[in-house]
Order: sequence, then C-alpha cells, then structure tokens
Amino acid sequence: MTVHLYLSLIPEALIASMLDPEEFGAYYAVGSAKKSRGQAIFFEVDPSFRHEYFDIDEGIRRCVPHEDGTPKASIYISVYRVLEHVSLDAIMKLYLVTQDGRTLGLDSSEELPEETGKLHLYQEIAPVHPLVVSTLGPREFYELIVKYPTTLLKLPAVCFVELSLGALADDPERGEVGDLPYANIPHLRQCLIELRTKSVHTKMVNRIQPATFPYRTIKSGIFLGNQEKLLFFPMPSQEELRAKHYRWWRSANM
Amino acid sequence: MENFWLILALCSGLLSVGLAVWSYIWVNRQDPGTKEAQRVAAWIRRGAISYLRKLYSALIMVAVVLALIIAIVFGINAKDPYYGFKMAVAFVCGASLSALAGYMGMTIAVSANVRSATAAEKGLNPAFNLAFRAGSVMGLAMIGIAVTGMSTIYMLTRQPEIVLGFSFGASTLALLAKAGGGIYTKTADIAADLVGKVEIGIPEDDPRNPAVIADNVGDNVGDVAGMGADIFDSYVASSVAVMLLGISVPNVAEQVKYTVFPLVLCTLGIFASIIGLQLVRVGKDGKPGRALNSGTIITCLLFAAMVVAVVLLGGYNLGVLWAALAGLTAGVIIGFTTDYFTGDDKPPVVETARVSGSGSAINIITGFSYGLISIVPSIVGIVAATLVSYYLAESFGLSGVYGVGVSAVGMLAVSGMIVSADAYGPIVDNARGIAEMAGMSERVIDTADVLDAAGNTAKAITKGFAISAAALTVLALFAAYASEMEAEGVKVALSLRNPLVIAGIFLGAMTPPLFSALTMLSVTRNAFDMIEEIRRQFNTNPGILAGTAEPDYETCVALAAQGALTSLILPAFLAVVLPLIVGFVMGPEALGAFLGGAIFTGIIFALLMANAGGLWDNAKKYIESGMFGGKGSEAHKAGVVGDTVGDPFKDTAGPSLNTLITVMSLVSSLFAPVIAAFHLF
Repeated sequence: MTVHLYLSLIPEALIASMLDPEEFGAYYAVGSAKKSRGQAIFFEVDPSFRHEYFDIDEGIRRCVPHEDGTPKASIYISVYRVLEHVSLDAIMKLYLVTQDGRTLGLDSSEELPEETGKLHLYQEIAPVHPLVVSTLGPREFYELIVKYPTTLLKLPAVCFVELSLGALADDPERGEVGDLPYANIPHLRQCLIELRTKSVHTKMVNRIQPATFPYRTIKSGIFLGNQEKLLFFPMPSQEELRAKHYRWWRSANM
Repeated sequence: MENFWLILALCSGLLSVGLAVWSYIWVNRQDPGTKEAQRVAAWIRRGAISYLRKLYSALIMVAVVLALIIAIVFGINAKDPYYGFKMAVAFVCGASLSALAGYMGMTIAVSANVRSATAAEKGLNPAFNLAFRAGSVMGLAMIGIAVTGMSTIYMLTRQPEIVLGFSFGASTLALLAKAGGGIYTKTADIAADLVGKVEIGIPEDDPRNPAVIADNVGDNVGDVAGMGADIFDSYVASSVAVMLLGISVPNVAEQVKYTVFPLVLCTLGIFASIIGLQLVRVGKDGKPGRALNSGTIITCLLFAAMVVAVVLLGGYNLGVLWAALAGLTAGVIIGFTTDYFTGDDKPPVVETARVSGSGSAINIITGFSYGLISIVPSIVGIVAATLVSYYLAESFGLSGVYGVGVSAVGMLAVSGMIVSADAYGPIVDNARGIAEMAGMSERVIDTADVLDAAGNTAKAITKGFAISAAALTVLALFAAYASEMEAEGVKVALSLRNPLVIAGIFLGAMTPPLFSALTMLSVTRNAFDMIEEIRRQFNTNPGILAGTAEPDYETCVALAAQGALTSLILPAFLAVVLPLIVGFVMGPEALGAFLGGAIFTGIIFALLMANAGGLWDNAKKYIESGMFGGKGSEAHKAGVVGDTVGDPFKDTAGPSLNTLITVMSLVSSLFAPVIAAFHLF
C-alpha cells in the first residue's frame, strides 16, 4: 500500500498515512473508534519530501497495515512547528474536510485573486489563528507578516484564508450584515471603521478565534506562504461547488 | 326534493371516491425511479404502514370500548330499542371511514414521493402534476367518504342524531391521528436535528442519520393522515351540527329541507372541488404556489356561484346564502392572512430574524408576541362570519345559530381542494428528501426545492383554515348541544352569576392549555429516548458516519410510533371523559360553560401556536439564507432555538386543539340527553 504524507493545519502536524486523501479526510474529521470529530484542513505533501527537522523515514517505516490487513490510518511524525519546516515546493493539493467527513481537493493557482473591496477579513489558520481585518490585499498581508514586517511580530510561514465581509467591505457603518464568521457584529464594524480612521493597515478582531471557520464564507481562497513564496488555492464558485461537489457543498453549508 | 338531494349527495360522494381511486391507480402507474430511490422510498413506506398499523390497532380497541358504551347507554335510555345499536354502528362507521380516507391518503403519499422525485428529472410541471394529483387523492377521498357516509346514514335512519354518532367516530380517529401524528413527527424531527445537525454536523435528509426515515415518515403522519383526519372531523361535525339545528327552523314543514341543506352544500363543494382540481396548473411563470392559490380561489368562486344558483332556484331562504358566503369568505381571508404572519418575506418574520442577533430570549419574545398579534385577524374573521351569518339568517326569518352552522359548512365545503393542496406538501417534501438520500441530480433537487416552498405555504394556509373552520364548527356544535338539551326540557342559560357556570368556564378554559402541555411534554420525552438511540447507533457503529454501514432506521421508526401512541392515552382520556365528568357532576349549564371556556382558549391557543411556530421556523430559514450573520451566527443560534420551541407548537399542540374542542363538543352533544336526565347538581 502507498504511504502518503499529509500536512494537517488543524492541529498543525505532519502525518504518514496509508489512506488516500478522501479516506484520510473522512477518518480525520469523523474519527474511528476514538470518535474524535471536527473540521479538518490538510495538504498532501510530496512523499519524497525530506527535511532534517522531521524523521520522515521512521514515520513511513512504522506506517504498516494492521494485523487484520486494514491500512494504517495515521502515524504522527511531528506536531510542533511543522508548517515552517515544509518546503512549499513539496505541497501538492489542499483538502478541505467538513465536520461530517466530506473532502474537497483544491489545486493551487499561478494567479492571485483579483482584488475587490476596500477592506478585507482574514482568518489565520496556522501557526496562530487570530481573526484580522485589513486594508491590505492578500499578497500585501502575507508580506507584512512573513517577509517585511513593520512591527516586531513576524512569522516564518503562514496559512490564512480570506473571508467574505459582504457589504461591510465597502460600507462598514451601514452595510447590510450578511453571512459572517464572527458573532459580535458591532465590534466587527468598529474594527473596520478604525481601519478607515486610524493610520493602521491591520486590526485584530479576535485573538483566540477558533482555527475552524465556515467554508461557505470563503471569499477567494486559501493562501500559504513562507520566506520563499506564496501559494494560492482558489475556492470554486458556489455554483461550481453545487454542480460538481454537491455532497461536500451540502455539508459545508450547514 | 330532499330525496333528490340525498341521492345526489350520495352519488357525488361516490364520484369523488371513484376519482380518488382513479388518481390512486394513475399515480401508482408512474415511473418509480431508480433502484436507489426506490430503496429509500421503501423505507419510508414501511415506516408509514407500520405506524398506521399501530394507530389503527389502537383505534380498534378504543372504538370497540366506546361503541359498547354508546350501545348500552343509548340502548337503555331510548324509546327505540335499536337506537343504541344504530348509534354504535354509526360511530364505528365514522371511525372506520375516516381511517379509510387516511389510509388512502397516506399510502398514496408514500408512493407518490419517489415518483414525484423521478418526474422532477423531466421538469417542474410533470413533478408538480404528479404530486398534486397524489395530494388530491386525500382531498377527494376525504370529502367523498364523508358525504357518502353521512348521506347513507341519514337516508337509512332519517335521524340526524345518528349521524352525530358517525361524527363522533370520525372525531375519535381524528384525535388519535392528529395528536399522535403531531407527537410522532416532532419527536423524529427534533431528535434527528439535535443529534444529526447539532452534535454530528450532518445535513438535513442525510442517509447516515438513523432518524432520517422516521423524520420523513413523520411528515406524512402529521400532515397527510393527521391533517386529513382533522378536516374530515370538522367537515362532518359542522354538517351534523347544522343537520341537528335543522329542527330549529321555525316553519315545521321545511325542517327536513333545512336538515338536508348541509349535505346540499357538501355536494356543491364536491363538484366545485373536482372542477377546481382539474384547473390547477403551473403557468409559464413556473410558480407552483400561485397555481395552488389560484386553484383554491377558483374552487371558492365556483362553489359560491353554485350556492347562489341552488339557493335561488331551489327556493331556499336567502339567509343561508349569505351565511354560506360569509363562512367561505372568512375562510379564504383567514387562510391568506395566516401567510402574512408566517411568510418568509413578510415583516413579522424579518423582524424576528433581525432581533435574533440579540439572543434566544429576544427571538422567543418577539416571535411569541407576533404569534399573539396573529390571533387578531383570524378572531376578527370568525367574529365577522359569526355575526354576519347569525344576523342575516335571523333577518331572513331563520334561526341565527342555524346561520352560524351554515357558515361553518360553507367554509369547509371546499375542503377537497384545501386538503389536496395540504397533502401535496409532505409529498414534495419527501420527494426532496428521497432525491437527497438517493443522490439524484442537482436539477431534481432544485425542482423539489421550488415545489417544497409552495407546499410550505399551502400548509400554513391550511392550518389557519382548519383552526378557523373548527372554531365555527364548535360554535355550531355548541348551539346543537343547547338545542339537544332544550329538546330534553333543559334550558342552557349561561349566567356569570351562577357559580357552576363560572366553575365550568374555568375548567373548560384550563383544558386546552393542559392538553397542549401533555402533548408537548410527550414530544420532549419521546425525543429524548430517540436521541439516546441515535447516539447509541453512532457510538457503537462508526461505519454509519463514515458512510460504510447502514443505520438501523427501523428502531427509530418504531420508537417514534410507539412513543406517540402511548403518549396519547392521557390527552385522549381528558378529551372524552372530562366533559362527561363535568356534565354528570355539575350539570348541563356547567357543561355548556365548560365548552365555552374550552372553545375560547382552544381557538386562541391553536392560532397562537400554529402561527408563532411557523414564524419562528421561517425566521430561522431567513437567517440561513445569509441574512443577519447567516448560519452559525448568534442570530442563527437564536433562530434554531426559536424554531425548536416552535416545532411542537405548530405541528403538535396547535393543530391538535381543533380536534380536542370538536371532540369535547361532540361528546357533550351526543351525551346531552343522558346528561339532561342524570346529573348531580
């Protein structure tokens, strides 16, 4: 059986598994006999990837079928500072797994999304996961926190998602409140207004926002960047999701 | 002339049943779809049939006991030695024929759901036509069987009191079917949602949910069998009340003519419904809701025209014309105003959704308040219909209470159309569920969504209609009760200076809230048991959630059915025994006051619960459409709480109250001669 390498973001971990991505997604989200459950996001990593920080070969060696012949679901190789040590050249596909175990695979794109709206809402997924509003587009936001920080805060690598602000992106004071991932709407409005009135580019909305978020609120897609480069995994449109990935779309729209 | 109308009534009833059977056969000949769709549909069908078996077994036991009591009580106290026997036979016929209508409606609904989903592959029109034609089986069977039963019994006995026994039989089944169906459907719905959606995070109608089949069965049990039995009950009860009041017509020579008149109205209603049903077509705009509404309006207009013609040509008093038209108009207006308070684009729903961002408490307060306001137009409609029909009947020399009874029959005469539109709802709802579970195409699901939205509106309109019709029916039954007492030489004068009357009012007013509480507590108790079962299945078999193992649907179906029927014992006992205790202990006036109190709080509670529940449901859906923070937001969480509170309001307690007050009024009228002879105070 083939052994796959997966870079999980919730929680951050490098895992060897004999399950293919869809099976691994279902297993990871809904659990087995341990009954651990929850949304999952992971990348498939080139199985030939090696780095001195990880003992990948040992992980692969231990990843053998169970006595009854069933494939080994997971061998955790590392659960600490994983993202910063994985080369983006080894990243293959991104998988978004719903709470009930439906898996959607996304390919990366050469082009970054077209910028729309004056204000942006970012959910950082790893290594930390605050909810942030910003006047910066995705590339500038990535550069600010990874490459050219203007404060003491700097991350070696980051994965974040741009979420839709709806009408608040253009009119934070009076814009109609749509489908948003944050409950305290007056506070969100206040943060957005401060971006306009104060000379700051970003404003933290919530320091301890859960790393999980409703997939239906994704605006453009998911970004993964380190010192070398920025990868973008565009989210298909709602229409395309409904037409081609109906089961996943239904579960993601819960 | 009266014999002509009786024969025509019988023929129209048989014609209606014949058309229902024809549609039944036609629907069953349509394409049942793919193997997977048929497999899912078979689960639902088995669940529905298993519930019906349990329901009818319970009914047989209740019917046998009550028939024996009726035969003995009325056998001893009557001049005719066969009176008790005839009454008991009529009672059994009422219960059995109502059950037959329910059986036809349910079996066709669980057969049409998969066929409707399959027809949706071809487009909206074929799917709509199939689902609506299947719904019409319930509508046509219900009115046809009711009119056939009533006219046959009257032709054989010429005693409206015996038809009252028939009506009591229908009401007994209605009480079991409506309250039991309401408990069943919400037990399954709440349990499936709380574990499936909230705990596990799987979508609605997901085949991995062990309660998904019970939930789909519940739609049919509550909205086809339950609502059909409820309207069958009101339809028969209002007609019988007017037949009993026929003897109050001042001109003795015309008493038979006016005793038969409600059957004339029912006959015209059957013809209007049959024609109206043929004209329900989705237009070029592709809106099934508009097709259903137009069908209802056309049927009402046809019926009104027929009544005008028959009253003028048949030499009937013009008072009955105005009374019938007043009832019909009030029914239509009340039905459509219900939509204002529950429609998802109307201010009450939008406002409730908007304030939900402030939490569950505000959602509940706002929805409850709008529910209370929603009582106003219906009560005003009932009051207007009562006053107009009463005073116009009096002004034309008829008894005013006879006019009120005729307005109730006028409202219910188009039940064939109303029930058809109502039964269409669960068929398309199930069709959507089957499409989802069987993995049918996106096109089918889109079409089913459009059909389902129209079905929800039809359901809301039917609830308002059913409650208002029940209100007029029980007012007529109350008059019939007083008239029966007067025939025994007891005058029912309700004076608030009489402590027995005050005691009766309070006891009557207490009964609907108590009945509501008992049925809703049954839902929570049964839902708790089912939640434990669903959790057990997920925990013991991880393959269910992974999609590699099939859940045990049957256990959940059996739990829901058993729980619903067991929970019915105390509420049913209350409905039948409490009026008798009040009557035998406190006397006829206290019983009259008891009925008055029960009617007033019953109608108010029924309207409040049906409308507030519908409003909370749509407020949640409005938020889910992406408004006020969308799914997962604080507003949504509050909306889910409101919807869960509203579920047993609108589908269990609220609609069952119609039947409760009808049953209590019928028991009182039926036993009036005995109570008049034997009472303590």
